[in-house]
Amino acid sequence: MATGTLDPITTEIVRSAFTAAADEMNATLIRSAYTPIIYEMKDCSVALLDAEHRVLGQSAGLPIFLGNLEICTRICEEMYGRDGWEPGDVWIMNDSYMTGTHLNDMTAFGPIFVDGELTGFAACRAHWLDVGAKDPGGPMDSTEIYQEGIRLGPLKVVERGRQRRDVTDLLARNSRFGYPAAGDLGAQIACVRTGQRRLEAIVEKYGRETLEAARDEIFAQTERLERTLVAAIPDGVYHAQGCIDDDGTSDEPVWVRVVVTVAGEEMTIDVTGSDDARRGPINCGEAQAISACRVAYKLLINPDNPPDGGAFRPLSVNVRPGSLLGAEEPYPCQWYFTPLGLLIDLVVKALADVLPEQAAGASYGDSMIIGLAGVDPRNGRPFFDLEPTVGGWGAWQGSDGEDGLINNVNGSLKDLPIEVLETKFPLRMTEYSFRADSGGAGRWRGGNGVIREYTMDCDQAELFLWFERAKTPAWGLFGGGTATPPAVVLNPGHGDQRTMLKASRVPLSRGDVIRTMTGGGGGYGSPTERDSDALSRDIRAGHVTADVARTIYGLNAEEQQQ
Amino acid sequence: MSRFRVAMDIGGTFTDVVAYDEEVGGYVAGKSSTTPGDLTAGVLAALATVDAQPERCSFAVHGTTQGLNAFLQRKGERVLLLATAGARDVYHIARGNRTRLYDIHYRKPIPLVPREDIVAIAGRLNYAGEELAPLDREAVRLAGVRARADGFGAIAVAFLFAYLNPTHELEAEAILREELGEGMTISLSHRIAREWREYERTSSAVLDAYTSPVVRTYLGRLESELTERGLNVPLHIMQSSGGIITARSARQMAVQTLLSGPVGGTMGGVALARRLTRPNLICVDMGGTSFDVSLVIDGRPDISSEAYLEGLPLLMSVVNFHTIGAGGGSLAYAEAGGLRVGPESAGADPGPACYGRGGTQPTVTDANLVLGRTDPTWFAGGQMSLDVDAAHRAVQELAGKLRLETVDLAEGICDVINAKMAQAIRTLTVEKGIEPRDFALVAFGGAGPMHAAFLAKELEVEEVIVPRFPGAFSAWGMLETEIRKDFAQAWFSPLADADHGKLADAAGALERDAEASLREEGIAAGHGRVEHALDVRYAGQEYTITIGLLSASEPLEPGFDDALSGRFDEAHERRFGHSNPGAPVELVTLRVTAFGDLGRARPQPLESQRGDGYAYEERPVVFGRSNRDARIVRRDALLVGAVVDGPAVIVENTATTVVPPKWQLRVDTYGELIMRATDKEA
Repeated sequence: MATGTLDPITTEIVRSAFTAAADEMNATLIRSAYTPIIYEMKDCSVALLDAEHRVLGQSAGLPIFLGNLEICTRICEEMYGRDGWEPGDVWIMNDSYMTGTHLNDMTAFGPIFVDGELTGFAACRAHWLDVGAKDPGGPMDSTEIYQEGIRLGPLKVVERGRQRRDVTDLLARNSRFGYPAAGDLGAQIACVRTGQRRLEAIVEKYGRETLEAARDEIFAQTERLERTLVAAIPDGVYHAQGCIDDDGTSDEPVWVRVVVTVAGEEMTIDVTGSDDARRGPINCGEAQAISACRVAYKLLINPDNPPDGGAFRPLSVNVRPGSLLGAEEPYPCQWYFTPLGLLIDLVVKALADVLPEQAAGASYGDSMIIGLAGVDPRNGRPFFDLEPTVGGWGAWQGSDGEDGLINNVNGSLKDLPIEVLETKFPLRMTEYSFRADSGGAGRWRGGNGVIREYTMDCDQAELFLWFERAKTPAWGLFGGGTATPPAVVLNPGHGDQRTMLKASRVPLSRGDVIRTMTGGGGGYGSPTERDSDALSRDIRAGHVTADVARTIYGLNAEEQQQ
Repeated sequence: MSRFRVAMDIGGTFTDVVAYDEEVGGYVAGKSSTTPGDLTAGVLAALATVDAQPERCSFAVHGTTQGLNAFLQRKGERVLLLATAGARDVYHIARGNRTRLYDIHYRKPIPLVPREDIVAIAGRLNYAGEELAPLDREAVRLAGVRARADGFGAIAVAFLFAYLNPTHELEAEAILREELGEGMTISLSHRIAREWREYERTSSAVLDAYTSPVVRTYLGRLESELTERGLNVPLHIMQSSGGIITARSARQMAVQTLLSGPVGGTMGGVALARRLTRPNLICVDMGGTSFDVSLVIDGRPDISSEAYLEGLPLLMSVVNFHTIGAGGGSLAYAEAGGLRVGPESAGADPGPACYGRGGTQPTVTDANLVLGRTDPTWFAGGQMSLDVDAAHRAVQELAGKLRLETVDLAEGICDVINAKMAQAIRTLTVEKGIEPRDFALVAFGGAGPMHAAFLAKELEVEEVIVPRFPGAFSAWGMLETEIRKDFAQAWFSPLADADHGKLADAAGALERDAEASLREEGIAAGHGRVEHALDVRYAGQEYTITIGLLSASEPLEPGFDDALSGRFDEAHERRFGHSNPGAPVELVTLRVTAFGDLGRARPQPLESQRGDGYAYEERPVVFGRSNRDARIVRRDALLVGAVVDGPAVIVENTATTVVPPKWQLRVDTYGELIMRATDKEA
């Protein structure tokens, strides 16, 4: 290849053209999606790949979708051969053991032919509202994958440019919300076609030879950059472990164990020591475990550059088949992201000693889902409120962690405003506030979690909960304190008061109060080193109580007077 | 004697004035250095440069960045916020989302009111606006006492469901007035934004409380000084919505003027769209360090009902601006052996190397200078001279690292940033369901016309328009707009359940408010019009599309539901590429907008000439990695009808227009420069 003739200017223009093509695919997907989970919450991701399944451009989407869309085109090629690709085709798949995620995540992809030659692939993944699981949206207590919805290996949905009506019909029929499902499918197909058109235009503009030379140089630059960054980390073997509370069907903790080995320019993340796959839906396919490790690596090593085919070359990930992070049939995967949020925090923890500036204390951890279902007495119609809850993030060198922020495996999700909640559902939100002292203490304090309290304004309803990380609350770093774990209390202060974290179909009646409390983030550095101005600001603001200021931060009464 | 329609736009560095002389039917532009201590001095000096002293003005409009600067520099008023008990932390939780996804060091935008300055006030309404618990009047009074004792300069009040029933907010205002008197700024959330979503409404009220005392003081002083010096017409102020209001109204709701400065450019685009019968325009405003894009679609500015200021939401009609992280200040550097340009910017300080303020890394502005595309002695109308050697040194040093010739790298830096800017514009239009090829590109700001042809080529846009006074185009645009007053009211109901009588009544009431406001603005009967609209969505969606109504009474017409759904389906199809006819539709917000005509300039066509009978000199300018003899032409040497073939550079006081090889420039009837690609070369 004539790399000698290629100048850095052309390389940089081609690099930004690839990224822009991916941005345009993303804009097409979001613009034409039918369900808010895609166009509002951005629970989606896109990639433009070359003919060898390497990433040319990727648009910032859901972090844990990062860096494994190419597994889908690879698997399809393994199953149906290189000759199986035909111009104008689009495929779709969602098998958890192949794609790594839950069945709600549909990946669409298609080959890109330019002048009759296979030149690349376009792929996108998006969360579908419902894929026909035993419960609406997805179950909280499934014990095998067959309860979680329709499961697809690579399936051709567009054949030589024509959308297959039989396949579209099959998909729509297997969703409780068939119409939007077909709409979101259409959006994904439009996204793949945008990728096909853009790559064709790029090849036409710059010529195949220049493009290939530029691509090789782009990958080489990224690899060089990452190797330099990894080489700067002291060699060694670094460990961390933590557990999620249970698998939703028993009380047993589920352990995730991480060993990070840094040797020169190479890093290996080994998660083989994690527990075996479990009966409840907290398992995850290997592809997503790898993806989560890549997210953690990227957060620490090179958060700013969009990933391309040269990224992650210094990183190997070892996953044990049959473990909860390498789930196999028929283990359920609906809540596959619960161990992944923990895994990302654990990789950061393992490397904290050698990357003290990049690291941060752990975050509150999981999506903290509450579901409330019943009949709205105002109009006699059924309602279903399903919400994740924000919490505290870990502190880092130089800054407190953020208070009340959505968890790291979610997209750009926003909380539901009280005025919208009370208008749409027969509920009242009697409190939405920061939970004082819930963040771990520290020279830099962990962020506080929140209290969200619901009062029922209907006669009958059911409560669903998926709250997590009580057994491994967010840890601090370098002497920073551990955060308060989450808690949910039903009817606090009453005779029938109950606490719980995970629940399915708990009956509720009018006037019942559900008080949810999310955990904080871990602290950083010893609390006694906290700047006294920062501490008095915290006390004034009520983020830290006077009691904790005295007992944990060591503020004496005299200072407190000031 | 009053013969000038004048617009005054105060920027960070310069105060621009554009005046339309009604006697001769022509425009003049002038500028003067902005005088930060006493801005009126700069305004008066700028007016003097075009001989349009206050007493000679028949119409005066002003764009100000006072409020925005106070916000950006966090020099606004200290605000005490009163919030509903139980929801006190809503303002700080800020909906809990994050805008950067790969960042474990993420922090939300810093709120303008610290948590300890947020007071919880008991009193609660429900989803229907009915009172569940009465307002704790004593708590409000105590908050007033605290505001006085602790020296707060403004109070924001934002209670849950106040958009449905403002009684508690009004009661609180009355108590606070009693306690603090008329001088205190009190911003009530329902008055600032009568819409649901408590965080966004609270943030809007806080932004008003934070910035309006500064703006109010400033406008009061400016108006009285201008009046003292003979101005005998009302002073008008540009709003973020692209419409204008009298300074008297602006003082009551100063937050509406927050983006007063830059929207003038978009409104100038609207005027050009009308004049050149080019309804679809991409407006590109590129300064030394900034790059903003806005759109004119079907002859109207692209306006949204919500904006974000450094991440803080503002529920208000605002011209949509997209600030793109690429511009004249974008830094070029080497990383892993490759060239990168942006997104880091040299900003205004130290700025590009050629500014001579200590910057040593090369920027796009430096690259243009090295290529000969900028005249170092004419920058900013000669008010600032550029250091060519410093630019050369900066580019040369990077060229050494990348093993490139200095000139090749300089052009490469421009090529990369042009590609990036064009790609960013393309993504924006795709998001809106628009094909850039159907648009013309309007380029202004000091550097916009320098890059415009290259951007057009990348976007396959056929025509580039460089207006007159490209450096003062915002001021020019202000002369071309009209009075605009927006009224909104939350109206949440599934369309199927909507009470058509009540809807029409509410629209009628808003219409009466709107008409009354036009009278207050001094609009004579017959010179105003009122538009009605509803924000609509499919059930289950959060975001809405604003759909026009034919009149306030349209909801009473038979077949209204079908007509509205049909319009909504069509708009949804256009915006998102698909629609869902027959699906349940929800109404969210009722909107009424009043417009008032204040007259407009009717310029005479300018003098014309044929062909290339104009003075020029020749100088080498780099295109395609080699020096080309380019014509350097002063813009005032070009009369209507003149044609200039590229390569050429057109210089004028406020901007530089680059005509690349194989492009041709023609001067239009009113003096606009129109560039198109051609096959021939000069």
